[in-house]
Amino acid sequence: MPAEVAATPLVFEAIGTRWQIDSTDPIGASLARAILDRISGFDRTWSRFRSDSVVADIAREAGSQDLGVDSPPLFALYARLADATDGAVSPFVGNALNHLGYDASYSMRERDEPRAGAPDWESTARLEGTVLHTTAPVTIDIGAAGKGYLVDLVAGLLTEAGHTGFTVDASGDIAHRGAPIRVALEHPYDPTRAIGVVTLTGGALCASATNRRAWGDGLHHVIDGRTGSPIEDIVATWALAADTATADGVATALFFSPSADLAVSFAAEGVRVFSDGRIERSPGFGGELFR
Amino acid sequence: MQIRSRQNVAAALAGIAMVGTLAGCSGAGSASTAPQESPSGSDGNAAEQPSTGTEYQDGEYTAVGSYISPGGPESVTVTLTLQDNTVTALEVTGSGGTPNAKKFQGEFIDGIDEVVVGRNIDELNVSKVSGSSLTSGGFNEGLDQIRDDAS
Repeated sequence: MPAEVAATPLVFEAIGTRWQIDSTDPIGASLARAILDRISGFDRTWSRFRSDSVVADIAREAGSQDLGVDSPPLFALYARLADATDGAVSPFVGNALNHLGYDASYSMRERDEPRAGAPDWESTARLEGTVLHTTAPVTIDIGAAGKGYLVDLVAGLLTEAGHTGFTVDASGDIAHRGAPIRVALEHPYDPTRAIGVVTLTGGALCASATNRRAWGDGLHHVIDGRTGSPIEDIVATWALAADTATADGVATALFFSPSADLAVSFAAEGVRVFSDGRIERSPGFGGELFR
Repeated sequence: MQIRSRQNVAAALAGIAMVGTLAGCSGAGSASTAPQESPSGSDGNAAEQPSTGTEYQDGEYTAVGSYISPGGPESVTVTLTLQDNTVTALEVTGSGGTPNAKKFQGEFIDGIDEVVVGRNIDELNVSKVSGSSLTSGGFNEGLDQIRDDAS
């Protein structure tokens, strides 16, 4: 990006998806650079799709690795998500995803060996400060909440720079400040349609669905950490929360736990769509659903 | 086995969109097909589909989805009414050949129209759409590769 350019919206690709940042004020070149640098640094630590990441080191051999300042809040959120889903949500599902073919080389082919769940958290890994100690090689995948967490970091940079009305949209995970916006909830079977509309007045809305990151018969990216198998009976979820990390994590947890339970545990409202077409929403979910 | 049946109903629902597309191309007011293919969105190409511009003719459309249950072949017939590019009515009838199928199909049919009467995003006056993440170039190339290998 040329140094003198001030732009909104700011559109770019990062961490394997499309980002768009809209603000009521121009986003200056130095802020844009700070945003891209923060995302790039996060990716360099946490991506399981690049061989030079800290996560790649942890996947290669057991030992102790510094995962940086983002690791305590991320692992704390994952611990709560694991509690709320009886272990279905885990930060250690990387090997299970690799097994199904969603690996660093995008082989898209399931391996011949039997599927296995994520390794047991307690016996495999322990976070001390920002250092993760592991007793065996383990592939971290923070797909359940990492993108939402990163959206919060970007929103923080915008706020620090004085922006008060903006939307950070990391392709389905949205942080919003300022005047309310209407957001369509994309139909999981037809991207030209919506199943509802949510009015977002500050805070975060995150979506998860099994329709795009899918690569074969029953193979997609939302898997049960206890079994290593993709989820079959839920096809799309949305969560509203004050922060995007929580909304992202709850959107994943909704594949395993009822929206009413998660609403209490996380102060987040949710809606989920079953494969047979039914909708379940938490009592406080304020959006409009078409039916 | 209930989950397996649900998946097939999901495929049948996706077939509604397929029928709409087929009928929109041919201009026919009625069409019938057996939607055996996977939902259009599940192959990773959803983001590439045009989101506007396709006009569907008003009318009644019917699709039959068939599946093999543990008790033998079953089918679900879906009839929908389209007006101004919006689904205004939906009727789902199961063949219900076995007692189990009757029960399962009853469960599906009760809830279906709670979600499938979607609305065109173009007409909703929204500034954002929230759905699954668009995929990266690497992911899409991986999909292209396995498609090439399969053909």
